[in-house]
Amino acid sequence: MNRRWMRFAVPIVVFVMIAAACSKKDESSTGESGAPTAENTGKVNILAAVEPEEAAAIQEIADDQVNPNVDYDAEFEASGNFEQDVQVRGQAGTLDLIMLPQVGTIPTLVQTANAVSLEDMGFDIAELEDTFGKPFMDLGLVNGEHYAIPTNINLKSMIWYPKDDFDKAGYEVPETWDDLMALSDQIVADGGTPWCVGFQSEGSTGWPATDWMEDIMLRTAGPETYDQWWKHEIPFNDPSVQAAAQTFGDVMFHPDYVLGGAENTPGLAFGDAPLPMFDDPPGCWLHRQASFINAFFPKDAKAGVDYDWFPFPSMDTEGGPLFGGEMMMVFRNAPEVKDFMEQFMGTDFQCAMGGITAASRLSPNVNVDSSCYANEILADSAEVLKEGLESGSARFDASDLMPPAVGSGTFWTGMVQYMKGGPDSLDGILQDIENSWPSS
Amino acid sequence: MAAAPPPSGNALWLFALRLAGALAIPIGAGYLLWVTFDFLRSSDANRIVVVGVAVLVGVGGIFLLYWAMNRAVDLLPARYREGVRPWVFVGPCLVLLAVFLVYPVINTLLLSFKDAQSQNFVGLDNFKFVFTDESMLRAIRNTLGWMILVPLVAVSVGLAFATLVDRLRRGEAVAKSLIFLPMAISFAGAAITWRLIYSFRPAGFGSNIGLLNGVMIGLGQNPVDWISQHPWNNLFLMVIMVWMQTGFAMVVLSAAIKAIPDEIIEAARIDGASEWQVFRRIMVPTILPTIVVVATYMVINALKVFDIVFVMGSAELNQTEVVAERMIRWFFIGGNYGRGAAIAVVLFIAVIPVMVWNVRRFREEEQIR
Amino acid sequence: MSLAQAGDVEAREPVPPGAEDRAGAGEIRTGGWFVRIVIIAICVLWLIPAVGVLITSFRNEDLVNTSGWWTAFAHPLQAGQWTLENYRSALDAGGLGNSFLNSLAVTIPSTVIPITIAAFAAYAFSWMEFKGRYVLFVAVVGLLVVPLQMALIPILKLYVNGATIADYVVFPELRLNGTFLAVWLAHTGFGLPLAVYLLRNYIGSLPSSIIESAKMDGADHFTIFWRLIVPLSVPALAAFAIFQFLWVWNDLLVAYVFLGGTKDVQVLTLNLANLVGSRGENWQLLTSAAFISMALPLVVFFSLQKYFVRGLTAGSVKG
Repeated sequence: MNRRWMRFAVPIVVFVMIAAACSKKDESSTGESGAPTAENTGKVNILAAVEPEEAAAIQEIADDQVNPNVDYDAEFEASGNFEQDVQVRGQAGTLDLIMLPQVGTIPTLVQTANAVSLEDMGFDIAELEDTFGKPFMDLGLVNGEHYAIPTNINLKSMIWYPKDDFDKAGYEVPETWDDLMALSDQIVADGGTPWCVGFQSEGSTGWPATDWMEDIMLRTAGPETYDQWWKHEIPFNDPSVQAAAQTFGDVMFHPDYVLGGAENTPGLAFGDAPLPMFDDPPGCWLHRQASFINAFFPKDAKAGVDYDWFPFPSMDTEGGPLFGGEMMMVFRNAPEVKDFMEQFMGTDFQCAMGGITAASRLSPNVNVDSSCYANEILADSAEVLKEGLESGSARFDASDLMPPAVGSGTFWTGMVQYMKGGPDSLDGILQDIENSWPSS
Repeated sequence: MAAAPPPSGNALWLFALRLAGALAIPIGAGYLLWVTFDFLRSSDANRIVVVGVAVLVGVGGIFLLYWAMNRAVDLLPARYREGVRPWVFVGPCLVLLAVFLVYPVINTLLLSFKDAQSQNFVGLDNFKFVFTDESMLRAIRNTLGWMILVPLVAVSVGLAFATLVDRLRRGEAVAKSLIFLPMAISFAGAAITWRLIYSFRPAGFGSNIGLLNGVMIGLGQNPVDWISQHPWNNLFLMVIMVWMQTGFAMVVLSAAIKAIPDEIIEAARIDGASEWQVFRRIMVPTILPTIVVVATYMVINALKVFDIVFVMGSAELNQTEVVAERMIRWFFIGGNYGRGAAIAVVLFIAVIPVMVWNVRRFREEEQIR
Repeated sequence: MSLAQAGDVEAREPVPPGAEDRAGAGEIRTGGWFVRIVIIAICVLWLIPAVGVLITSFRNEDLVNTSGWWTAFAHPLQAGQWTLENYRSALDAGGLGNSFLNSLAVTIPSTVIPITIAAFAAYAFSWMEFKGRYVLFVAVVGLLVVPLQMALIPILKLYVNGATIADYVVFPELRLNGTFLAVWLAHTGFGLPLAVYLLRNYIGSLPSSIIESAKMDGADHFTIFWRLIVPLSVPALAAFAIFQFLWVWNDLLVAYVFLGGTKDVQVLTLNLANLVGSRGENWQLLTSAAFISMALPLVVFFSLQKYFVRGLTAGSVKG
C-alpha cells in the first residue's frame, strides 16, 4: 500500500513544484513583455519599397552619418512585396517606420495599423510645410492631423530623346504641345516613327498610361481640376477627363505615331520600350517616362550625349511637373524614432542620398542644393521639381492618390482596354472606372 | 498489484490522485520543453546551437512528451485509458492545427461579414459582390477549369511515369529526378523559366526571347503575346502548374507502386494477363487510396493557385483571374479586407465536396481492410 | 483490394536496392523499348524549360535580353557569349553564406518536427478507435485549403500580442515575432495537414495482421507505433520529408513575415530575390540564383532515394 501511494506522490510533488515555478515565471514575464513602452529599444526599422541596391546604399549613408552618433541602430529593409508586407506587419504592430509610395493608402493605414500622427510625435507642422511645401504635406492629412512626411520624389513629366541623332537630324526641342505634335509630324515626314510606348509591367500593366493621362490632365484641365479629379470631387467620366483621354488617344491612335501601334502597347514591357531609340537609325525618337527609366537604357549610353530629356510641354495651361515619391509614416511613438526621422529629413542625409547613382532619388526638401546630385539629369530634374514645389504647381501622381481599387486597379486596366479597344471604347471605360470607385 | 477492491471512500481519493498524477507527468515534460523553447526564442543565440537544440529537443523532446503523456494515461483508471489514449496521439497535432489554421479560418469568417476596413458589419454584402462581379465570376469559372484539368493531367502523367520507370533496370533514380526537378525550383525560378518560354516582343522591339515565339518566327509567323490570348492563356498557365506538380504525384505514386507485393503481380502474369490488364486490374485498384490522396491534394492545390496567375501578367486584362488571386488582390492590394475574406470563404466552401468524397472513400477503404 | 489480403506477416530488414531479383518480378515483356521511349520523351519535355534557364544562366547579360536562348545551340562554341558573371554576381550578393545558414536553420527543424507530430496522429487516425475520427480526419484534410496569406496576419498578431477573451489570457503574449521558433511553429502548423494525409494513407494501408499479431503478443499502442509502424513507414516518412524540406527551403513569405527580412535573419530565397530590382532589372540573375538555390533540395532528394525501393514492405508480407 505504501508503494502504491508513492506512485502518485512523486508526480504530484513535481506538479506542485512546477506550478509554483510557473506562476513566478509568469509574473516576471509579464513585466518583461508588457505593453510597448516609449523607451528606447535600441533599434529603428525602416521598411521601404526600394530596390535592394538603393536600400544598401541608403543604409551606408545611415551607417555613416547617423548610427555612430546615436544610441540606436537604424536599419533599412527593402521589401519586394511592399503592399502586402505593410498590411501584415501593420496589423500585427511590428512596424516602426515605412517609406510609402502608395500615398492613397494613408487613410487606410491610419485606421487599420494605428499610425501615429506627426502632431503626437511632437513635430512642428509649420516648419515642415516650409521645408516641403504645403500641398505635399497636405497629402498626409487624415481627419485634420498629419500622418506622413515626404522622403523622396522622382520627376515624371519627362520626355527622353536620342540627343545625338536629334541634333544630327536638325530637330528642335519643343516647348509647347503643338510644337511637339509638329515635331512628330516632321519625323513621320522624314520617314521615321516618333513615339515608343510600352505599358506592360506584369501584374501592374497599365501604370505608364496613367502617367500620360495625368500629365495631359494637369496641363489641359489645370491643377485645381486635377485635384478635384483624384479626390473624386468630379466623376471619372467628367468632360475634362474625357477631353484629356481623347488627347491621349490622338497621339496613341494616330496611324503613324506609335511604333507598333496602340494595340501593341499593353504587350510591350515598359523597360523594353525605349530601346529602339538607341538603334541606328533610331527606331523611335520620343519616349515619355519617369526618371527611373534611366536604369533600363543600354549600359554604354551616355547621359547628355546619347540621350537627354526635356520637360513635358505646356498645353492649354502651363500646368506643373508631375512627380511620384514616397512618404514616411510612423507607427511607434518613441524618442529614437523621432530622432531618426529628423536626421533623415535633414539636408545632410538628403544631400548624401542625392549622390547615390544606383537610385534616382530627389529630395523633397527644398533646402537641398542641386550640387548634391550624382549627375546632370538628376540635378536638372531636381531644379524643375523644386520650382514646382515652391510655386505650388507640382502635383503628385494621381493614381497613387486614388483609392487602390482604382489607382492600382481599374485605372490601370481601363487604360489598357482603351488601347486595345480604340477611341470609341472610351466612354464605356470611363464609366466603368467611375463605377468602380469605392463608396466609402 | 491486484489487491482486493478498497472501500469506496478510498477509491475516490485514489481516482483523484491518479488523475493528478496523470496530469503532472505531461505538465512536467511540457515545462522542460518550455524552458528549452524559451532559450530558442532569443534569436541572438548561435544559429547552429539553436538548430541543434531545436532538432534534438524538437524531435526528442516531442517524442518524450508523447511518451510521458502515454505513461500518464496508464496512470488513469482502467476505464478511461483506451478512451483517452487516442487523444494523446492526436492532441498536439490538433492543438497546432487549431492555432495555426482553424483560428485564421474563424478570423477570416468574421472579417467576411465586415466592411473594407473591418469597422462595421455589412452582413452578406461582400458575398453578393463575390457572386455578381464579372471578374469574380470569371475567376470562379477559371478556377473550376484549373481544378479539373491540372489534377487530371498531373496524376495521369505521374502515374504513367511511375509505372513505366518502375520497370527500368537502371536509370530509374535519374529519370525520377528529372521529373522531380521542377518541384525543386523555387517559385521565382519557375516564373523566370516560363517567361523564357512565353515571352513576347512586338516586331521591331528586338528579337523574341521566348521559346514559343522563337518557334513561331522560325515557322515564318508573327510572334504572339501568349499570355494575353484569351481563353487559351489559361491553359498556358495550367501547363506551368502541371510541370511543377507532376513530380509530387510521381514520387508518391512511385512509393505506392513499389509497395505492391510482387507475388500478386507475378500471379496475374502467370495467369496470362497482359501488361495493360495487370496495370488496370491489379495495380490501379491496389494503389487507388494513394491515387485518391494525390488527386485530392492536386485538386485543393489547383483551387488555391495564386502565384502563377498573379505573376504572369495582369489577370484582369488577360482574363485569367482565379479565386485565390482575386482574394489577394482585394485583401492586400485593394485594402478591402471584407471582400478579400469573403472570397477566402468561397474557397473554404469549395473544398467541402472534396472532403465529403474523402470521407466516403475513407469509410470504404476501412470496410475492406 | 489492399495489402491486408496478404496473409501472415514477418517484419524483415529492408532489402538493399538491386538485390531484389527484378527478373523474378516478371521479365519485362514487350515493354522494353516502348517503355524507354516514352520515359525519354516525357523527360525531354519536362527538361526543356529547365534547359532554357540553365543556358540563360551562363549567357552574357546583353545576349540574354536580345536573343533567344536556343540560338546558343547554333553557335555553341562562340566565345564571349558564355560567362560565369551571373553566378558570380549571385554568389557575391551580400550575406549569401549567412542566408544559407539561416535557410538551413529554418528548414531542418521545420521538416523534422511536423513529421514526428504527424506520425503519431496518422497512427491514431489509422489504427485507434475513438469517437469522431472520420470527421476529425476529414477536417484536417480540409484545412489543406486554407490559403497561407489568410493566416499571416492573425498568427503574427498572436505572436506579438497574444490573445485574450473577455480579459482571460487564452494565448500568452510571447513576442515570438522575429525568432526562429516562430517560423518553425508556423511551418509545422501549415505542413501538418498534408503530412497527416500522406502518412495516414500509408500507415492505414499496412496489413492489419501485423498489428493484430503484435497486439496478441501484448504490445500496447505506443510500442506498436514506435517499434513496428515507424520502421515500416520509412518510405512515406522519407517522401513527406522531401516535400516539406523542399517547400520550406523554397519558401519566402512565411520566413519573411515571422522571422524578418533584415540582413541577419534573411533566408536564402529572400537574399536571392533581392538581386532583382522591383521593376525587373537584372532578372537574368534569377536564373543563376534558381540553380544555386536548387542544389541542396536536389541533393536531399537523391540521398533519400534509397528509401524508395521495391520490396521494403512487400518483403515483409508473406503470400
